[in-house]
Amino acid sequence: MAAIVLNYPNRTARPRKATSESPFSRWLIIGIAVAFMVLMFVLPLVVIFQEAFRKGWEGYVEAFDDRATTHAIWLTLQVAAITVPLNTLFGLAAAWCVSRFQFRGKRLLTALIELPLWVSPVIAGMIYVLLFGAQGLFGPTLKEHGFKIIFALPGIVLSTIFVTFTFVARVLAPQMEAQGQAEEEAAMTLGANGWQMFWRVTLPKIKWGLLYGIILCNARSMGEFGAVSVVSGHIRNKTNTVPLHIEVLYNEYQFVPAFAVASVLALLALVTLILKTLTTTPRGAA
Amino acid sequence: MSIHIHHISKTFGSFNALKKVDLEVKTGELVALLGPSGSGKTTLLRIIAGLEFADEGAGSIKFHGSDVTNRTAYERKAGFVFQNYALFNHMTVAENIAFGLRVMKRPERPSREDIDRSVTELLRRIALEGYGDRYPTQLSGGQRQRVALARALAVGPQVLLLDEPFGALDAKVRKTLRKWLRQFHDETRVTTLFVTHDQDEAFELADRVVILHEGHIQQVGSPTQLRENPKNEFVANFLDCVMI
Repeated sequence: MAAIVLNYPNRTARPRKATSESPFSRWLIIGIAVAFMVLMFVLPLVVIFQEAFRKGWEGYVEAFDDRATTHAIWLTLQVAAITVPLNTLFGLAAAWCVSRFQFRGKRLLTALIELPLWVSPVIAGMIYVLLFGAQGLFGPTLKEHGFKIIFALPGIVLSTIFVTFTFVARVLAPQMEAQGQAEEEAAMTLGANGWQMFWRVTLPKIKWGLLYGIILCNARSMGEFGAVSVVSGHIRNKTNTVPLHIEVLYNEYQFVPAFAVASVLALLALVTLILKTLTTTPRGAA
Repeated sequence: MSIHIHHISKTFGSFNALKKVDLEVKTGELVALLGPSGSGKTTLLRIIAGLEFADEGAGSIKFHGSDVTNRTAYERKAGFVFQNYALFNHMTVAENIAFGLRVMKRPERPSREDIDRSVTELLRRIALEGYGDRYPTQLSGGQRQRVALARALAVGPQVLLLDEPFGALDAKVRKTLRKWLRQFHDETRVTTLFVTHDQDEAFELADRVVILHEGHIQQVGSPTQLRENPKNEFVANFLDCVMI
């Protein structure tokens, strides 16, 4: 897209737009926004790293030389590795349904996609305890057959899937709706089957949105606390994910290790932010 | 290839877009579907292509005698050109044109060299030689529509369906492309059906014109027949001529 460059002889000659504010209120509004961001986001981030390095680089590294910590990181990676691909598939399927088909209950499905955003994560965890827990609906049957869902990896994965389901679908559905399906129809009349149509036409069209959704889904699946907290049972070296482990460390007054592990999640957030910016920056012809 | 449309109806919710339409297009004919917006002409074209399915029941569509009523779009392989081109923007012009050949099943698929040759030949035909490496967004509207035509023609379709192919272009480009399409049809004699709401376009291009209104075919005939002998008041009014 061509950028329009306007050259004014000097700043004071800039024509005043009807919607522009006086310099005073402009700076006031910007000031409030910046102050808020610094107070709410930048300062906490600084504090995390400050606390993590309180005992220097050595103390920081030492924090990770702990079996419970490495296990928590490993568990969190496992959870993300299962959750993210599944929710990518579910999200694609849901976005596809909502944007391509007219059917009864479509509005309900659209609402359900957003469910994780307005249901408290704790409730999400409770649902699975009520369904699969020892006293739950399917609990006894599962126990009979030797399946363990609550207080184990499957339960953590289930509740994480619930909480992070929304991301891919929510990014893709409006995008796919806006793009329409003329290109897919063209591919079909040219003899492409469903599979070829998806890989050669649809996926290239939505790839940046999809990537954005995946990044958000990944960040949340690694950082989820509430839902996982309910189903995990906080068993050290077994069912403690990184966020739960941080809480345990903090409650045990192990501040340096707590903040050191927290800094890993903070870094994840920063990387996510950078990737998000990269994937949503408009680029040339694509 | 001939097209037989028999008793085709289409309902969207409570709206009857097409009401028991019968139409026959002979092999090698160039036929225009003309009508005001909402008359059902695009719906009819999409049903022929297999992009839309007619209401279940008595109706049928036959391509050259064989029933394709329940065939999908990719089985029918009717060349389709969309009003807004529907080019694949992430592919180059050459890749767009080659798409239909590349998605063929292996035994039928031409070799890489043959595909390249076909693409070069088609680019020459649409007067866009040397444009193969560009992306659709780098082309003008008229050029894009020519690429869309070449893409549809690459697989050698027996039927060409065009949905308001020149609708998004300016008057001058429209005229040039119109001439080009007529000339192209005279050379290849591919059975062609095109939708338009522009009377001049229909009358200048088509061997026969089908006039649609509110889901019914009002009249079918050559431009002269229609002008001299409009069957009813709607046709007369629409063509702006006097009922005798």
